[in-house]
Amino acid sequence: MTSEAKSHAIDISSMQRENRTLQLDNEIHTLQVQNLKLRYGDKEALHGIDMLIPKNRVTAFIGPSGCGKSTLLRCFNRMNDLVDGCSIDGQILLDGKNIFDRAVDVAELRRRVGMVFQKPNPFPKSIYENVAYGLRIQGINKKRVLDETVEWALKSAALWDEVKDRLHESALGMSGGQQQRLVIARTIAVKPEVLLLDEPASALDPISTLKIEELIHELKKDFTIVIVTHNMQQAARVSDYTAFMYMGDLIEFGVTDTLFTNPVQKQTEDYITGRYG
Amino acid sequence: MRVSFTEWTKSGSPWVWLNAGAVAISMIMVIGLLGLIAVRGLGHFWPADIMQAKYTENGNTIVLAGEIADGENVPAEQLRDAGVAVPADAEFMRRNLLKIGNRDVGGSDFIWVLDEFLSEKSKPEMLFAAERREWGNFYGYLRGLKENGTLVASHDGYQKTPEYMALWHDFQQRLERALSIHDQIKDIEKGAIGSINYELERLRLKQRSLELKGVTDQSAYDELDARRAELNAEYEVLQKELLDLYTAFNRDSLIAETAAGQQVEIDIGKVVRAFLPNNMGLTDKIGHYIAKIWEFVSDDPREANTEGGIFPAIFGTVMMVLLMSVMVTPFGVVAAVYLREYAKQGFITRLIRIAVNNLAGVPSIVYGVFGLGFFVYFLGGNIDDLFFPEAKPAPTFGTPGLMWASLTLALLTVPVVIVATEEGLSRIPRAVREGSLALGATKAETLWKVVLPMASPAMMTGVILAIARAAGEVAPLMLVGVVKLAPSLPLDLNYPYLHLDQKFMHLGFHIYDVGFQSPNVEAARPLVYATALLLVAVIALLNFSAIAIRNHLREKYKALEM
Repeated sequence: MTSEAKSHAIDISSMQRENRTLQLDNEIHTLQVQNLKLRYGDKEALHGIDMLIPKNRVTAFIGPSGCGKSTLLRCFNRMNDLVDGCSIDGQILLDGKNIFDRAVDVAELRRRVGMVFQKPNPFPKSIYENVAYGLRIQGINKKRVLDETVEWALKSAALWDEVKDRLHESALGMSGGQQQRLVIARTIAVKPEVLLLDEPASALDPISTLKIEELIHELKKDFTIVIVTHNMQQAARVSDYTAFMYMGDLIEFGVTDTLFTNPVQKQTEDYITGRYG
Repeated sequence: MRVSFTEWTKSGSPWVWLNAGAVAISMIMVIGLLGLIAVRGLGHFWPADIMQAKYTENGNTIVLAGEIADGENVPAEQLRDAGVAVPADAEFMRRNLLKIGNRDVGGSDFIWVLDEFLSEKSKPEMLFAAERREWGNFYGYLRGLKENGTLVASHDGYQKTPEYMALWHDFQQRLERALSIHDQIKDIEKGAIGSINYELERLRLKQRSLELKGVTDQSAYDELDARRAELNAEYEVLQKELLDLYTAFNRDSLIAETAAGQQVEIDIGKVVRAFLPNNMGLTDKIGHYIAKIWEFVSDDPREANTEGGIFPAIFGTVMMVLLMSVMVTPFGVVAAVYLREYAKQGFITRLIRIAVNNLAGVPSIVYGVFGLGFFVYFLGGNIDDLFFPEAKPAPTFGTPGLMWASLTLALLTVPVVIVATEEGLSRIPRAVREGSLALGATKAETLWKVVLPMASPAMMTGVILAIARAAGEVAPLMLVGVVKLAPSLPLDLNYPYLHLDQKFMHLGFHIYDVGFQSPNVEAARPLVYATALLLVAVIALLNFSAIAIRNHLREKYKALEM
């Protein structure tokens, strides 16, 4: 290991060492996707996906544009319900219960499965109110609880030091990277079990991207993280498991290190070596 | 350097010229329009000099005094046909409109005179003008003052002398005294006696309502009678006070001489203001001008609306527009939210949108007819039957009034608010809604906490457009609540303070009334311009305040850079 690598904020080689000891069968599975089919009108976008998302790990979805990775991610908190003409077959079990069940309260599900979007989408409110939003929705209005949670969430999102003096200023005055970390803080403030990240760094500059990646590394201690990314280096850097999707099918799913160094499928190899995508 | 025509067209400059020309024409029209009403309207309040002259027409000579109000050139031929002996070589003659006042003496207060036939023109310093509560202006010379019918001071001669000025100051003091008594009388009549009458009327209605309910308990009636006796006693006291004030008020009178030499006696109580225009310096005139403009915007109208102020009309207009905004905003917003957020988009919603847009194109008088038929007669009639049976047969809400006028205009402007709000809702980024939903908020919570605040500038745009349309609307109001002269303001100190059932005055209707229904058109015409200017100013003010609110909201919820 060179001194240069050591000074790097994320010690990639140590992460990869850790990865070698991982095995999917030994994990607790927070989410289980069983034969999931999704149609937009007449067009089938997902053709029967089966996969397991391990608890307290980072799972990355990679694949070319339009392969269905974002669509799959949006199934986990039923964001696809908002799309007209979208129909879903099969099931996703969260802690053993089907999230598509009639009895499931969607708002409650989304509280347990938080989501961060591609572009930062803070509300036109103060930084404090942005983070407190989810709590207020749940009817928590005690100032002490709110103050504590906001501070904890902002600290967890590595934003506290930058904004602690201007908590009551508009969130719209922050930089893109800060806004994205604010959105992450807002999401973890409601203490979800799963954190879905939909290309969280694609609209950000390299330094902000690095901060987000560090953050993901920190957050996996407390949350199960699923991340969609276009950037294969990013997937290699941050994830423990990687799923490669192509044309609505899950082609390969496994420990990140193995998938990148020794892919089983020809398509996976072609993609990660840059022959298509 | 010569440039060929085709090159010139290719360069695009004809378009620039065309567009700039169109903008310039619009600007000129707006400025010209405002300029015309401003000049005509505001000029009316300037204290013009009074000219005295001899006028000879067809051998008859009279002495005139008055201010020149207007002038025009007329063909001499036309005058000859009318039997006026004009010089044979003249083609055109200058004709002036002279405001000679003294309607009680001469019958008419305006007269057309040919400039050429005027001789011995002068502007005597002691010629005074008096604005009166009736009969319009008086022009003439002060001759003496009377107290309780006996002459207490007098002066002869027409020149400005210290003695004459002393008489004039004496008159001014007496005038001030009369004016202050007049204010006291008005306070008592409108204030205390008004309240007593209002409460007596309420007591009468209470008694009637008890009778209708078949209450036989005598104590309830006794209570009302006791209160009524109390009020009547109060009234007696005030009445006595008023009688004394009236006696004091009518104490003085002045003797004046018209330019033609006729002696007239005028009660000083009838005079509102007296001044010597030919003796005033520029500063005096400016002071007088400002006082007149202030009177115009702050006072009640006099003499069938041709004199005095138009405060009740300003108040009525603003009140009606505010009430309309309060009614139209929630209704339009709720309708737009349903159409955009909840309704399943399809043929029906498209049909509804078309209907809403067409509603904005219905002529306003049709809304007036609808308001009269549905709101006033049907709704108002039923409200009277249900809630105010004691007042019948006199209608309470079953007659045109402030509430129905506001409601009619709210109906007229609701499409604008719906369209603007829908536009605003459709512009809220999907990402923000999803961000809220992803945090476990329901659709309603997302709407209330995120979407509606962000769409509020668009709603305000709708309200601004609604105000702009409603404030200038007159036709429907004539059917549903506007009157020529309202005895009291719809907002006062008598419970329940805001009287939605009352009729009100409106600037737009006031323009129509003064301009076309006035018994004295010549006197009223400048007021038409002045009122029009004020109407524009009031609407501009309402709009600017709404725009200020919108800009504030816009700053607060400025669109995310996405």
